[in-house]
Amino acid sequence: MSREPAPDAVELVGEVARGDREAFGRFYDRYASLVFSFALRLLRARSEAEDLLQEVFFQAWRQAASYDPGRGHPEAWLLTITRSRGIDKLRSMRKRSERTLSVEETSSPSEVGVTASGATRSEAKLTVTGALAGLPDAQRRVLELAYFDGLTQSEIAARLGEPLGTVKTRMRTGLERLRGLLGAVSGASGS
Amino acid sequence: MSHEAWLEQAEVYALGALDDDERRQIEAHLAEGCLVCAEQIRETSEAVTMLARALPQEAPPAALRARLMEAIDAEEDALETEGGAEDVIPIRRAPRWAWWAGWATALAAAGLLLVVGFSLSKTQEELERLRGRVAILQDELTEREATLGFLSDPRVRYVSLAGLPASPGASGWLLWNPEIRQGLFLARGLPPAPADRTYELWGIAGGEPVPAGVFKVDAAGRALFRLPPLTETKPFDTFAVTLEPAGGTLKPSGPMHLAGKI
Repeated sequence: MSREPAPDAVELVGEVARGDREAFGRFYDRYASLVFSFALRLLRARSEAEDLLQEVFFQAWRQAASYDPGRGHPEAWLLTITRSRGIDKLRSMRKRSERTLSVEETSSPSEVGVTASGATRSEAKLTVTGALAGLPDAQRRVLELAYFDGLTQSEIAARLGEPLGTVKTRMRTGLERLRGLLGAVSGASGS
Repeated sequence: MSHEAWLEQAEVYALGALDDDERRQIEAHLAEGCLVCAEQIRETSEAVTMLARALPQEAPPAALRARLMEAIDAEEDALETEGGAEDVIPIRRAPRWAWWAGWATALAAAGLLLVVGFSLSKTQEELERLRGRVAILQDELTEREATLGFLSDPRVRYVSLAGLPASPGASGWLLWNPEIRQGLFLARGLPPAPADRTYELWGIAGGEPVPAGVFKVDAAGRALFRLPPLTETKPFDTFAVTLEPAGGTLKPSGPMHLAGKI
């Protein structure tokens, strides 16, 4: 299953790698909402999400030369940076607020999704959302707890009060489905 | 551990959800240079970004853009004053090998950490496997009950879709509940879509097509899926299937393969 990322997105990263600031501006305009929405979902705090957005794009600017199109779409590259920095931030935020109510329990994923203001519907998002609609809720929940909240399988099991084996199987089945869906929505991103 | 099991662990590793022991085990396996698992991790890392891509989009405050551009200008200026322009590029951006070197170091370190073997007893593994199987059956049952509930709703309409000249041998049907705007779609006899194309289902209201989901067909040309939630509220009078660029579009552009009126 080899899929080529949209050539113009890859070209854009190439221009950024050569230090083209104007290209970097276009790169930001194209992906800022995507990164910001993800940052908001990860950190659930506006000012923290704003910091994360800046850090992610700053890192992208510095590391654009190390981006390898063979390893995935620029969008996936950027989202992977966002997640890894975001989860680090989330963990240190949790440590800071250990004695107060833990951050991740303040709202459920779907609530955050629905109440986010100024939501726009990009074409890519429309098809991805459509593809994910086929994922059973129980599988989606374990994937989201891992992806957005940085929880491990046993932490998820404890959180949901379910046996570890159940969580493992749901996660694997969910991941398998996600990988299957990737083919169906490839090329939709960044348009 | 069988290699199949490593591949499964690699997927969970890519999601970052392995507990410490298991994470160390797969890292040691990767440190042995398993390219198949490395590729599995790469693919899965990309697949999980779909969870982020499906979020409602919100634009960041405009002031952030200016602040970021200032920051990169400031950094650039600092580097230019420090050394000549010649020196800037190697300092500012890590070359590609550095990325690999970073990985290699991390993996080698992980390899050193592997001291203890597999601590899970066979019984424990078997118990978890069985629990997992029960969970999957429960999920399937829940899905089936939902489908059955959907099918027994008296408001469900049956729409038959006929093959058009692009694929005369194809046919399909849609069970459509116009009240709750949910549907179950089945197609058969469709030719496999080229790698850069996807089939897309459309609900048509007074000549205006609305996207109702993209789908792939299996080797036998069959597809069965539940329609994604539709925000459009106009009453559909027709449903159709076209072949579109991968990922689907907002307006149909490709050849029509199936169509049928309610």
